[in-house]
Amino acid sequence: MKALCWQGRTKVGVEHVDDPSILNPRDAIIRITRTAICGSDLHLYDGYIPTMEPGDILGHEFMGEVVDTGSEVKKLKNGDRVIVPFTISCGQCYFCKNQLWSACDNTNPNAWMCEKMYGFSASALFGYSHMMGGYAGGQAQFARVPFADVGCLPVPEGVEDEKVLFLSDIFPTGYMAAENCDIKPGHVVAIWGCGPVGQFAIRSAFLLGAERVIAIDRFPERLKMARAGGAEILNYQEVDDLVEELKWMTGGRGPDAGIDAVGLEGHGVGMMAAYDYSKQRMKVGFDRPLVLRQVIRACRKGGTVSIPGLYGGILDKMPFGAGFNKGLIFKMGQTHMHRYMAPLLKRVHDGEIDPSFVITHRLSLDEAPEAYKTFRDKQDECIKVVLDPWREAKAA
Amino acid sequence: MTITTNVAPKYHEKEFSRRPATSTHEAILTLATGTVLAGLGLWRRGWLGTTLAAGGSYLLYCGVRDFHRPYQGRVRVGFTIAKDPQEVYDFASNPQNWARFMHAVQVKNRGESKFALSMGKPAGIDLESNVEITDQKSGEYIAWASAEQMFEHRGVIHFKKAPGDRGTEVAVAAEYKAPAGPIAKALTSLVGWDPEQVVRESLRHLKQLLEAGEIPTTTGQPAGGRGVRGAAMRVMFREGPSEDAVEQNRMAGD
Repeated sequence: MKALCWQGRTKVGVEHVDDPSILNPRDAIIRITRTAICGSDLHLYDGYIPTMEPGDILGHEFMGEVVDTGSEVKKLKNGDRVIVPFTISCGQCYFCKNQLWSACDNTNPNAWMCEKMYGFSASALFGYSHMMGGYAGGQAQFARVPFADVGCLPVPEGVEDEKVLFLSDIFPTGYMAAENCDIKPGHVVAIWGCGPVGQFAIRSAFLLGAERVIAIDRFPERLKMARAGGAEILNYQEVDDLVEELKWMTGGRGPDAGIDAVGLEGHGVGMMAAYDYSKQRMKVGFDRPLVLRQVIRACRKGGTVSIPGLYGGILDKMPFGAGFNKGLIFKMGQTHMHRYMAPLLKRVHDGEIDPSFVITHRLSLDEAPEAYKTFRDKQDECIKVVLDPWREAKAA
Repeated sequence: MTITTNVAPKYHEKEFSRRPATSTHEAILTLATGTVLAGLGLWRRGWLGTTLAAGGSYLLYCGVRDFHRPYQGRVRVGFTIAKDPQEVYDFASNPQNWARFMHAVQVKNRGESKFALSMGKPAGIDLESNVEITDQKSGEYIAWASAEQMFEHRGVIHFKKAPGDRGTEVAVAAEYKAPAGPIAKALTSLVGWDPEQVVRESLRHLKQLLEAGEIPTTTGQPAGGRGVRGAAMRVMFREGPSEDAVEQNRMAGD
């Protein structure tokens, strides 16, 4: 089959690899019909995530049709159309049973690697480095899904792929980010980062009852999409001091909750940004937490900082004193996918939201390597790339 | 409550050596100091010289002896398994299940309560250790000790009810010694693991089996070209492409 493989820093390519096979009794093989490139794939592309090897198949947002099942798979059968969450959970450990699905104990075969780095290993992910399991990902024509009964969500007839594909990652991620803000009537939520996760966080915040959402970014097309979702937009390149601007916009209080939908590749200008960039270059710093610093300083006293943005290492120069003084609540982590997929599918099915609004590029798998660069550099007004692994590339 | 982990009296041998082990750094320091002093003494001659030389050579002797001191290590690993202590004990104590979760180690039954732990034949050297179960209490603990002095190790596995309704806390406490430091260190580099890793991964596999019903794996999954480095690593870790090969059914697509 064809698969998109990581080949080195800023180098990915489509290769011909073996088809996946059933390795454990609870596996299923999915014939992938649609898959997408995620913002966190860009961290892999740019070489920020350790334990990647050339030949690793990328991709963790995918859906398709079941074509084979292991002997212990009871709920799925061949022909079922399913969405696959990007986290892999066993369903039986303490964490899975307590709805903390992305903290599953039992799915990472390389748990020792994660434990070396973080002390504990969370659940494995598809296509996201050997430390997080080393599972072959979904930017391919077929994929092997472990613990298929636990993860795969069947899709009802008549709902197009594009409407439900994002239940595999970004919609639940944006939704959990908004839910973690503990939104109450009358609340104002500020969201840094209007990429796909931020876009879903905006719409989820309104679904959860926020009165106002302030969306912060610098790219016109992303701000435009944010405004279409009902948010007030703020281009941080046009203001001197973002924190002061937010105070001004919220009657001197600051937003009730702040969502950091940017993560470790925060972009910025000025002395602090230069400091973060140079540390990353010299490999003494893992993340560029520019946005997180702003969120902590901007939130109102007693407010919540919600962090769906990915971080990997040890943060530097955090205004923790401000955080303590203000009594902030911090909520973060990988999305507990299995909590949200079914309820959000229902919202899509009932017509409350059509997630396909976020797609700007529809390409074949062969065009994916170019698309990574386009997506990373935000060219061509790119916001979300969806791939059809069975489509032939258009003739040049 | 005393748990017996000493098997030596049965074989009329000395118990686990009580001499403290010295670290490699201390041994090297001793050797270096001894060499310097001895050299100084031989160079200076006279009463002072002789004293220095004598002291130096004694330190040299200590340094060399320290290199042959027992290499000592300790392992403490705990895992919480979401099943009752008795159920975990019954599964873990049954020798027929050991091959399913023990990591890097094969166990052969050699008679009542006697087993041989085999670490395979890396580089042609047969690594086997005879082990006896010295003490056990159903649902609570199993204690073992090695039956020879070549590679001494002993330990206890406890099965304790975890707080709340979280199941069982399985805790392994073990210690091991090998007669010559360099040999034990060579052991770990030969087989590619150290005792702590063996114990930890075995316990992890036990948890995965009991909770999830299977041990997660990616061995046999597809991957693209591994490049020069990947090929070099396959040679280093002695993995052949045929070792991981699984019968692939060609599906539509290519």
